[in-house]
Amino acid sequence: MIQITDEILNKYLDGELSREETEQVKSALRNSEKLQRKFNALKLVHEKLYHLKEDEVSPAFTDSLMKQIVRRKFSVPKQQKYFIFSIATFITLLCLVIFGFSISAIISSAPSSIGDSNSVFDSIPNLSDGLVEILKHLFSGAGLSIIGSIFSIVILISGYFFFEMQKRSKADLGNGQHL
Amino acid sequence: MRNISDQEIIDSVRKGNDSDYSIIVNRYKNKAFSMLKRMLKNEFDAEEVLQDCFLKAYNSLSAFKGEAKFSTWFYRIVYNTALTKMSSQKRRTESEMTSIEDHFNLESKYRSDEIERKDVNQLIRDTISKLPERYSAIITMFYLNEMSIEEISDVMGISISNVKVMLHRSRNSLRDLIMTSRFAEELL
Repeated sequence: MIQITDEILNKYLDGELSREETEQVKSALRNSEKLQRKFNALKLVHEKLYHLKEDEVSPAFTDSLMKQIVRRKFSVPKQQKYFIFSIATFITLLCLVIFGFSISAIISSAPSSIGDSNSVFDSIPNLSDGLVEILKHLFSGAGLSIIGSIFSIVILISGYFFFEMQKRSKADLGNGQHL
Repeated sequence: MRNISDQEIIDSVRKGNDSDYSIIVNRYKNKAFSMLKRMLKNEFDAEEVLQDCFLKAYNSLSAFKGEAKFSTWFYRIVYNTALTKMSSQKRRTESEMTSIEDHFNLESKYRSDEIERKDVNQLIRDTISKLPERYSAIITMFYLNEMSIEEISDVMGISISNVKVMLHRSRNSLRDLIMTSRFAEELL
């Protein structure tokens, strides 16, 4: 004979007992008014719970959510913004450096006074020679190491932002998939 | 009209028909909201978290492989987001932190005359919100969302037997409350 515990009554309600156990519970319920009352209360709770009503969100919920989705779809993610900004800054700085070098080359290779030359265009071949010299100097020896270092820093920064993006999307997936 | 399956809607959204996502939203918003409201015990927080959940689900749709039902996958997001919200607000009550072996007394949450004044439906509805968060989540998923014990166990990341124990414990507590009310007389 099984002992009729709360657990057994719940299993009986859910139809999880064997045929033999079910018969024993039925017999116990017939013989005990107290147990019958307990089971009826449990059954009442079970039935009432099946008729629970849903709570309703505010009427504008779906519209507001869909607008947010569209807005987010067309907006650039924050990390991507930083990434684009840092790359754009680097390119701008590089252009400025090259431009600066060119200007300094023009100034240093230009004739000491304008009167020494017949035309400004006469000095252009000399300027381009000077520029080539400077670029040669820039991409050899110490200059090359500096440029290499700058590129390494840019690659590291890009790597960081890429890693952050990966981490974030993994976390988002984690919420849905693994946790 | 044919009832479009979740998978068909998701496939359509993945193809770029974003507006179809609103079908999913309308299908699950009230059920998920009911669960969140009972877990967070606050309507405003529940709606805010729900919005966050739908956005998370939308952003992760590409990761949904269809191995589980969409509803299970989505409720997992809802449940975990609610837990995160609760821990961030440090609103986890002591009862939530206790193990499933502990007993909780719902009667003590009511004033002596309060139980008598309510009708049985109202009493049960109110009492679910007074259950510890995980218990009210189980009751909502099982009865309102009509999820199986296996699905609930998958959503909550606990064993099937633990889900059953928690479900039975919740029912027993509600039963005990009914038995102390004026409805007890009508039970035989």
